[in-house]
Amino acid sequence: MLEISHVDVYYGDLQALWDISLTIGGGEIVTLVGSNGAGKSTIMKTISGLLKPKTGSISFEGIYLDKLPAHRIAELGISMVPEGRRLFPQMSVLENLEVGASVREAKKARHNTIRWIYELFPILRKRAKQRADTLSGGEQQMLAIGRALMAQPRLLLIDEMSLGLSPLLVQEISQVIKDINKSRKLTIFLVEQDVNMALSMADRGYIIENGRIQSQGDAKELLCSERVKETYLGISPVEKAG
Amino acid sequence: MEGVIQTIAYGIVVGALYGLIALGLGLIMGIMKFLNIAHGTFIMLGGYVSFWLFALWGIDPYLSIPLVIVAMFLMGLLLYKLTLSPLLKLPHIGMRIDNSLLVTFGVIYVLDNAMTLIWKADVRSVIASYTGGALNLFGTRVSYTGLAGLGIAVLAAVALYFILSRTYFGKHVRAATQDAEAASLCGVNVQQTYLISCGIATALAGMAGVVIVSSYSVTPTGGLSWLLIGIVVMVLAGEGNINAILPAGIMLGLIESASVFVVPIQYRQAIALLIFIIVLMFRPQGLFTKRG
Repeated sequence: MLEISHVDVYYGDLQALWDISLTIGGGEIVTLVGSNGAGKSTIMKTISGLLKPKTGSISFEGIYLDKLPAHRIAELGISMVPEGRRLFPQMSVLENLEVGASVREAKKARHNTIRWIYELFPILRKRAKQRADTLSGGEQQMLAIGRALMAQPRLLLIDEMSLGLSPLLVQEISQVIKDINKSRKLTIFLVEQDVNMALSMADRGYIIENGRIQSQGDAKELLCSERVKETYLGISPVEKAG
Repeated sequence: MEGVIQTIAYGIVVGALYGLIALGLGLIMGIMKFLNIAHGTFIMLGGYVSFWLFALWGIDPYLSIPLVIVAMFLMGLLLYKLTLSPLLKLPHIGMRIDNSLLVTFGVIYVLDNAMTLIWKADVRSVIASYTGGALNLFGTRVSYTGLAGLGIAVLAAVALYFILSRTYFGKHVRAATQDAEAASLCGVNVQQTYLISCGIATALAGMAGVVIVSSYSVTPTGGLSWLLIGIVVMVLAGEGNINAILPAGIMLGLIESASVFVVPIQYRQAIALLIFIIVLMFRPQGLFTKRG
């Protein structure tokens, strides 16, 4: 469905990504994990069109995205929940959702989609007329996911879903994401610092360090690998022995 | 008592015009963070278009408004495509404001000279059958052209409010204003939204030009004084607070109008600039915007 091939990305003269290649198949949950500053969000921004690769290519269902602006990429069916939610703070919950359905086909179906979003996150119905900046962190994350789903995407990119949320809320939202993946066959690409949570819910995973993909594979296998345990979960061989 | 009512009536009428002048200016500043100092020149251009339609074909200035809107909307599209859109690549808002100031300063020169070539440097105004006529309201006289200007300003402000709050385009504008990148991720064509907004802002300048050519006069270089008033109103309303622009304009009109009781009439515009300085010093976020 999505293929990233040998991509290099720069911020001005500063190179942020080196020779990134990854694939995401239809209906999968794929995760990209790594520490802060490893280049996870840069990959998300490059897929969604906010950054342009200097070399390499990105294709979605056979269409090259490299030169397309972000709104055209959204029209193709790629929707993103950005890091830090990036809601429209002075607009109401309902208005945020409506802006999420700016893509032509999604606009026609927006009333039904809003009803579906309210079923997924009932609290948003209660907060419909409330300004987005008055919501709690968890509610804002639900709204950010809801806004992205309003575009009726085929590929949903989620950048740092767990950031600033309580473990209980993360669990609740993760469950909703897994349910959508199963019931609607929605492909999900999840970028996370919370390696345990991300690999637990994903089918496959990639690990990125200093702008380079270091390893990849089945998510459950990665979760059990010594490297992930030591580097990201803080479980050292000494502790295990003890 | 009569004097007070007259002062209030004059303040409201002239203040509504001030609000109309600032609507387009505030729209461009609020959405794109561009300071379009050619806005006053576009007001003059709108006035000239109306003047021409009246002089050549006898079209009443108020009936010419739809034609002026179309002509000025197209001018706004040109303004955006040729001068403002390249500035969107600048990384910081401060750089956008600085560069838009320089670029639109160039636009003033081009338009001033073009208008002088076409219409000469003479003062132009439209003298219709109703010019100079007035309506007696509560013992005070309000000119027909003043009342028409008030009506046009209110209609323009209400229409803009509905466009921004009730239409999908308006939601796109507001979303792009608050976070252009996030809006583009939602599928909003931000460039197109800016383009149309610039057209609307310039069309609003044209409407103000129609009111001015009917009530006052236009000259090729006359835009600067109207621009200054527009900037004062925009600062009073608070940056990006488009709904507060008409009330801010009326407030300025009332203060200016009342100032004749304490200072000679020729210092009336100085009062506006004094208010501008005081607001910038003590309440830079504007009088109609909550602190924060």
